[in-house]
Amino acid sequence: MSKPNDLVQGTLDLLILRVLALESMHGWAIAQRIRQMSNEELRVGQGSLYPALHKLEHNGWIDAKWGESENNRRAKYYSLTRAGRKALQAETLQWERLSAAIALVIKPT
Amino acid sequence: MRWITVLRLRLRSLLRARQVEQELDEELLHHVQRQIEAHLAAGMSPEEARRTALLEFGGIEQHKEECRDARGLVFVDGVRQDFGYALRTLSKSPGFTTVAVLSLGLGIGANTAIFTFVNAALLEPLPYPQAERIVVLQQRAPESGTTTLVHPVSFVEWRERARSFEALAIGQALPVNTDGAEGAEMVSGFWSTAGLFRVFGVDPTLGRAFAEEESRPGAAQVVVVLSDGYWRRRFGADPRVMGRPIRMGGHQATVVGVMPPRFRVGTLDIDVYYPLPLDRSKPEAVGSRSFQCYGRLRPGVGLDAARAEMTLIADQIGQEIQGEKGWRVHVSDLRDALVRDNRRALLLLLGVVAFVLLIACANLAGLLLTRSVGRRNELALRASLGASRFRLVQQLVVESLVLAGMGGALGLFLGATASRGLVFLAKDAVEFGQMADVRLDVSVLAFTVALSVLTAILFGLVPAWQVSVFNLQAVLAERGRGGSDSRGQHRLRAAIMTSEIALAVVLLAGSGLLLRTFANLLQVKLGFEPEQVLTMSLFLTDDAPRRANLVETILERVETLPGVRAVGTIQFLPLSGWTNNGPFHFVGRPKPTDPTRMASDVSTVSRGYFEAMGIELVRGRAFDLRDRMQSPRVAVVNQAFVERYSTHQDPLGQVILGDWANPRPTEIVGIVGDIRHNGMTTEPRPTVFLAQAQVPGYITHVVVRTSSDLQGMAAAVRREIQQVDPGQALTGVQPMRQYVSAALARPRLYATLLGAFAALALVLSAVGLYGLMAYTVSRRTHEIGIRMALGARGADVLRSILAQGARLAVTGVAAGTLCAMALSRLLTALLYGVSPSDPLTYVGATVVLGGVALAAAFVPARRASRVDPILALRYE
Repeated sequence: MSKPNDLVQGTLDLLILRVLALESMHGWAIAQRIRQMSNEELRVGQGSLYPALHKLEHNGWIDAKWGESENNRRAKYYSLTRAGRKALQAETLQWERLSAAIALVIKPT
Repeated sequence: MRWITVLRLRLRSLLRARQVEQELDEELLHHVQRQIEAHLAAGMSPEEARRTALLEFGGIEQHKEECRDARGLVFVDGVRQDFGYALRTLSKSPGFTTVAVLSLGLGIGANTAIFTFVNAALLEPLPYPQAERIVVLQQRAPESGTTTLVHPVSFVEWRERARSFEALAIGQALPVNTDGAEGAEMVSGFWSTAGLFRVFGVDPTLGRAFAEEESRPGAAQVVVVLSDGYWRRRFGADPRVMGRPIRMGGHQATVVGVMPPRFRVGTLDIDVYYPLPLDRSKPEAVGSRSFQCYGRLRPGVGLDAARAEMTLIADQIGQEIQGEKGWRVHVSDLRDALVRDNRRALLLLLGVVAFVLLIACANLAGLLLTRSVGRRNELALRASLGASRFRLVQQLVVESLVLAGMGGALGLFLGATASRGLVFLAKDAVEFGQMADVRLDVSVLAFTVALSVLTAILFGLVPAWQVSVFNLQAVLAERGRGGSDSRGQHRLRAAIMTSEIALAVVLLAGSGLLLRTFANLLQVKLGFEPEQVLTMSLFLTDDAPRRANLVETILERVETLPGVRAVGTIQFLPLSGWTNNGPFHFVGRPKPTDPTRMASDVSTVSRGYFEAMGIELVRGRAFDLRDRMQSPRVAVVNQAFVERYSTHQDPLGQVILGDWANPRPTEIVGIVGDIRHNGMTTEPRPTVFLAQAQVPGYITHVVVRTSSDLQGMAAAVRREIQQVDPGQALTGVQPMRQYVSAALARPRLYATLLGAFAALALVLSAVGLYGLMAYTVSRRTHEIGIRMALGARGADVLRSILAQGARLAVTGVAAGTLCAMALSRLLTALLYGVSPSDPLTYVGATVVLGGVALAAAFVPARRASRVDPILALRYE
């Protein structure tokens, strides 16, 4: 299991923003979705998920609303704001550059 | 737009903390429940699903804390923690906290009290619309340049010629006899021309002001306007009083209006306003240079423009009218005229209390510094456990804020109490109208809060700065060894201490000068004997012969009362602040080319006055029963008159003719000793006394010298006067002593206040010095132990510690003396009989402060000299 601490700094934010770009969802669903989308490679622990969500909310990138979950429970739903969308683009670009750079370095020549 | 969201969220976290917490709980719980469900779905037993989910989740509290961190509450939480921590540490050292809060409270309290006055006198707007356009006009005598009230002759000319004013009015405060609830009553009246209310821009709340034609002689009816206070007191606020006739000073007068509450003419609290019957063709009929004059500037006309115009007009009038030659006009802003020398005194006091506050701050900075050095280990430990420097400084700043808050609260309380006390203490010394309104208001509150925060920053930053520069390793290395302080810290503390001593010297020297002034004033030879003398004021209304008769009858009856040793009357009592002045010449000698060169104070007194007041008869005779309305006019002069105008010729038998009421040639028949009539510090001026029986005035004061109790005597005199004329009211019954003590009130106030502040400064600096020395000794115990083990005697140690204290004291005293010498010039106007650089005062201040400083150093020094080397070496 890949611990969140092992993720490169800032990648968790990127993953959350990316997942929320699809639809608004609550914390548990976000964690599930990241796991599914990464083919079970990335498991986000709640210990880093929620602080990250709160930080993103306070950055104004995501918005939180209380709503009904699939099985009729009250849950906090997060959705991307306009600023969040812009941030997602910027972060994605940044990430692509970074991973390309890393790939260049570690690729056996 | 994003920042709005961010701000909203931050505020929500801060203000609705409980709800946010709850939501966090709910959110995390939701997650755990979903996890359990997922495990159940994967086929786990309920028990197992739950356990696994919780295990996966980990420390809930820790996650919550991390979420809170993410919400940016660290700073706020930290500050909250620091407050709690500060309160705990402060309550653990009650001695330090008490000293700190007390010195701050006293410093801030003194400032609040004085600021309350400054605010009322200098800052609060005067209670008139466009008050900045209201001016006061006065006249300046040609020769002496003394400022006097205004002559009605000048006024009618000004009113016609001056273009600068929208309205111009003169008036005079005169008591009026009227029917009170129980017999005759004397109320304060203001006799003025119709423009008065327009000048102040205030209309009656009920009825109307009097019209122009009602303030001319021969007006159809006499009208009056009442003050709100008098209307309520006397008529129970009955609006039906309007149009009703009431008896005012022997006439029937009709009430036409009531002024709004708290309306004052400058500082005067008036009961009844009535029109001054000013005749354009004969203005001098209403009186002479004894009228207050107020004007309202036209919009757009400045004070300078008005001054320039009035200078021109005064020149013109001087050439046209005989008696006006050389008289200047003085135009001043109403506030300046009201505040007068109070401004200087108040600002001076404000400066003085600022010094006290500085001392308190220095004291506290020293204490905190000492404490923070003692706490270095604790701080270093926290730093090494990961606290950032910012965090440590933040904690220290919060601690000083807590101290300042407590000090500020105490100061506000002390200041409010003290300002009430000050109103009482200063009631004879300072007279400005808003005095009654001295109170705590928003600006005073803001001032105190600002002051508290400022002091917190001032004294809190010093130790905080120390912490921010300390070297972590060095501190931890010396941990437990009690190593000596670094040079910089030592110097900083010495500098704080020195400046504290210097500030105290300045205050001590200043209060010394004022105390010596006060002592000198007590030694001033008054020229009269105020003890066992009773005074009271009468206002006479009838024609001249009746006025003379009434006074004579009163004298005859009072004379025969048991216990009366002498009785007489005078127009204006000594030290009451009033006097008349006018030019004169000797009949038979060539008239002076410039009539203004010879002038004298003039006072009308009855027979028996000099005896009753205890004024020495030097030569000739005083007035007696021979001096009647029809007999030849006689006068008595004082020695100052003789010295100034009659050095070559025997003054007795000479005849003078003065420009005063109803002038006739008057023979000088007696010479009396000089008295301090115009103030304790004013040299006696040439004075001519005229006989009440020959030129009876309206205002007169009965002076009774008695061998019996003053109060009983007052009642007896009142009975006699009531029997002579039941309509004659009597007011201002006061011992003569009271006038003397009122004349001393201001110097006494200064001396008391500055003395109190200097004492405060002395105590504060003694405490500061003691604390510093005690700390030094405790830091050096180890070193002293080594010295003593190596053979130093107790006396050597004592000497060395005392020398350290003495060095500080000497430097501080020297610096303070220099500052005091420079600053004492500001006091010159308040001093009497002592020079601002009076050596005795400075030597005294030096000795007192040196003594106190040495005493403060002695206690810890002695403790050091008794150190047991064995214990000291073990000491950590």
